Amino acid sequence: MKVYIQGIGNISIQNTFRQTGFPEPVWYNESYVRCIDPDFTNYISPNEARRMSKVIKRAIASAKTCIAESSVEMPDAVISGTGLGCIEDTEKFLSAMIDNDEKFLQPTFFIQSTHNTISSQIAINLKCNNHNNTFVQGGISFECALFEAFILFADNKIKSALVGGYDEMTPSYFRILNRIGLWKKKFEGSGNLSNSTTPGTFAGEGSVSVMLSSAKNEKTYAAIEAVEILYQPENIVESIETFLSRNSKKTEDIDLVVMGMNGDVKNDAIYKTISADMFGAKAHAWYKNLSGEYFTSTGFGLWFAANCIKHKYVPSYAALNSHNAGKLQNVLLLNHYQNKNFSLILFSAC
Amino acid sequence: MAKQVLVTGLGIVSGIGISVQETLTSLLAEKSGIGAIKYLRTNHKDFPCSEVPLSDGQMSKMLSVPDNMPITRTSLMGILAARNSISDAKIIPDKSLRIGFISGTTVGGMEKSEQFYRDFLENDTCNDYIKIHDCGACTEVIADYFGGFSYVSTISTACSSSANAIVLGSNLIRLGLMDCVVAGGTECLTKFHLNGFKTLMILDKGNCRPFDAARAGLNLGEGAAYLVLESDESANARNADVLCKVSGYGNACDAYHQTASSPDGKGATLAMQNALVMSGLKPSDINYINAHGTGTINNDESEGTAIMNVFGNCIPPVSSTKAYTGHTTSASGSVEAVISILAMNEGFLPPNLNFKNPIEKLSFAPVRELIRNVKIDHVLSNSFGFGGNNTSIVFSKIQ
Repeated sequence: MKVYIQGIGNISIQNTFRQTGFPEPVWYNESYVRCIDPDFTNYISPNEARRMSKVIKRAIASAKTCIAESSVEMPDAVISGTGLGCIEDTEKFLSAMIDNDEKFLQPTFFIQSTHNTISSQIAINLKCNNHNNTFVQGGISFECALFEAFILFADNKIKSALVGGYDEMTPSYFRILNRIGLWKKKFEGSGNLSNSTTPGTFAGEGSVSVMLSSAKNEKTYAAIEAVEILYQPENIVESIETFLSRNSKKTEDIDLVVMGMNGDVKNDAIYKTISADMFGAKAHAWYKNLSGEYFTSTGFGLWFAANCIKHKYVPSYAALNSHNAGKLQNVLLLNHYQNKNFSLILFSAC
Repeated sequence: MAKQVLVTGLGIVSGIGISVQETLTSLLAEKSGIGAIKYLRTNHKDFPCSEVPLSDGQMSKMLSVPDNMPITRTSLMGILAARNSISDAKIIPDKSLRIGFISGTTVGGMEKSEQFYRDFLENDTCNDYIKIHDCGACTEVIADYFGGFSYVSTISTACSSSANAIVLGSNLIRLGLMDCVVAGGTECLTKFHLNGFKTLMILDKGNCRPFDAARAGLNLGEGAAYLVLESDESANARNADVLCKVSGYGNACDAYHQTASSPDGKGATLAMQNALVMSGLKPSDINYINAHGTGTINNDESEGTAIMNVFGNCIPPVSSTKAYTGHTTSASGSVEAVISILAMNEGFLPPNLNFKNPIEKLSFAPVRELIRNVKIDHVLSNSFGFGGNNTSIVFSKIQ
C-alpha cells in the first residue's frame, strides 16, 4: 500500500515554515533553543490566540499550512503524537496547585493541560468531526500516530489523514530533563554534534503536520509504503530485514538511510551496528543536528526524508557519509527511543 | 477479509473490587465504591471519590514489585488489572505470539510528579520519578512487568483513552497485524485531577446522580481494566474460552469545545452511528447501553440527546455505572467495557444508582433497579472525553 504526502507544515528551530526545499541551516551554540515562530495572527484570531499555549498555536499554524498545500479540504482523520502534551499549561496548573496549597486555581490551564487538547483544538478549528486520536509513546509518539493512520488507510476507513507531532520544551522541563542526563554537559554546538563522543544531546522542539492521502497530486512529496513500530526487538537487524522483505524490498533497494542519531553515544551505538551490518555501502543522513532532540522529532525526520526525495538531493550538512544516494527512489527512516522503542518508515519516490 | 475480534480475557480493578468476580458481586449487590477519600493526600477530602481499596504498598506486595523500584499507583493498578486479564485468558505474553499492549492514560506519572515537582526543579533526589512522568513510560512499566510484548502503545484522549485503546487493538487484529492485544487503560486519583475538575465546578459533594434532573456533577474514581483481544485463529489454536466479540466501534470528534459537549450531541451521535454501521446492527438490535453518564449537567443532557438521535422511539435500557465506580477518567472506557460484557454474559441490567427524576428534555429514564435474567446479545458502551473525543463500542455474544 502507498499513501502520499501531499503537504507538510513544519515549525522548528530551523527556517522550515512555508519553505520550499531545504532552508539555509541555523547552527546553535546554546543547548536550549526555541522554535522560529511565524506570525500566528495569519492563522489564529488574536482573541483565540491569547489563551493558547505555544504548542497549540504552532499546531494550528502547521496544520493549516499543510492542508493549504494539499488538495484535501477536510481530513478523514486527525491523529497526533506528543510526548509531553501541553506541558507549559500543565506546569502552570501544577505550580499554582503546589504553591497555593490547592487553593485559588483557575480552570484555563487545567482545560488546556491534557495531551489531547492539541488534536482537539485542530478539530475545533477545522470543524472536523472525523476520527480523532492522540498517541503519547515517548520518543516514538509521532510514529505511533502515523502507524494508526496507516491502519485506517489499509482498512479503507479513510482516504486522507492529518498526522502530526507536537512538543514544546519549556525552560523548566529542559532543566528537569537535564537532571536525567538527556542534554550534553558540555555542548560544543549543533554543528559539531556528529563528532561527539559523550552522552547527551541538545534539545529542540517542534510542530510538524503532514497531510497523507490515498491519492497523489502534482505537488506530492513522496509516498510512504510502510510503517512499523517494534518494542524491545530481540534482533533489530533481523527485524529490519523482515520489514523490508515483507514490503518486497531488499537492502540493495534502499538508496538512503535516514537515522535518528542525535550525538549521544548511548543513543547512536545501535545505528552504527545497523549501518555496519546492513547498509555499509549506502548513503546515510541524519536530521537531529538540525531539529534538536524532542519526543516527536521524527516528524522533522519525515519532513527531511520527504524533501530529500522530492528535491532529489541530500544536503551535505546532513550527510553522514559520502556514498551516493543514487536516484533517491527508496528511503528508510529509522528511529529509536532509549533502545526500547523502534520505528521503521519506508518512503519511495512517486 | 477482516478477521473477527474475540475477547478471551478480562481484568478489572476499581473502587468496587480488585477482580472480575468482586466487581460482579458488587454490581449485583448494588454496592457503590464511592466514599470518603482514604489514600489520596489532598486538602479537598470533602469530595467523595471511589478509590481502589488497596494502598500502593499492598499492591506492590501482591505483585512482588521490589520496594526500591520507582513506580506510580497508575502503573501498579494497571499491572494488577492486566495480570488478571492475562491469567483469565490463560495466555503467556511471549515473542512466539504477535502480542501487543495498548494502554490509555491521561496524566501518566502525575501522582508522583505532583509530590516531587519542587524536587524535580531544585535537586536530584527524585530523578527516578522524572523518568516515569510521561504517559508512555507508565505503559512501559506495566508491559515490562510481563515482558514478551512486541508492540506497545499509549493513547491519551482524556476520558475515552482506554476505549480508543480497545479500538486500536481491535483494528490490529482485524487486519491480521497482531494475534493478540491486551488493551485498556489505567488512571489513579491525583490532586491534579481532583483540583482540575474542582475548578471546572463539575464535582458533586454528594454521591453523583447520572441522568437525574437534579444531578450536580461527577465523583472521581480510579481504576484500571484490560481486555484480551484475540483473532479467531489464535483463540481456536489454543482452544481458548471466548467471552464475546467486538463487533463494531466508532470514533468521532464533537469539535465543539475543549471541555463542553455540544447541545445536539453531534460527536456522540456519530460515534454511536459509526459503531452500529460497522457492526451491521440496527439500533433495535442493541439490548443495553452502558452510557458515559458522568452526572454533569452538560454530559448527560448531550449524551441523552445523542441517544435519542440514534435510537429514536426504541431506546434500549440505558444506565451509567459511574455511581458505582466513580468516573475513572482514562480507565472508564475499559472499566465500563468489562461491566458491559459482564452484564451481557450474566444477563442482567446494572441499575443507574441514585437516580430519582428524569431530565425533562430526554424521552427516556435510565434503568432504576437491578434487573436479572435479561437476554442481552449486543451491548453498546459509550466513552466521551474532554476535547470531544467520543468513542462507542459494540460487544456481541458469540452465537
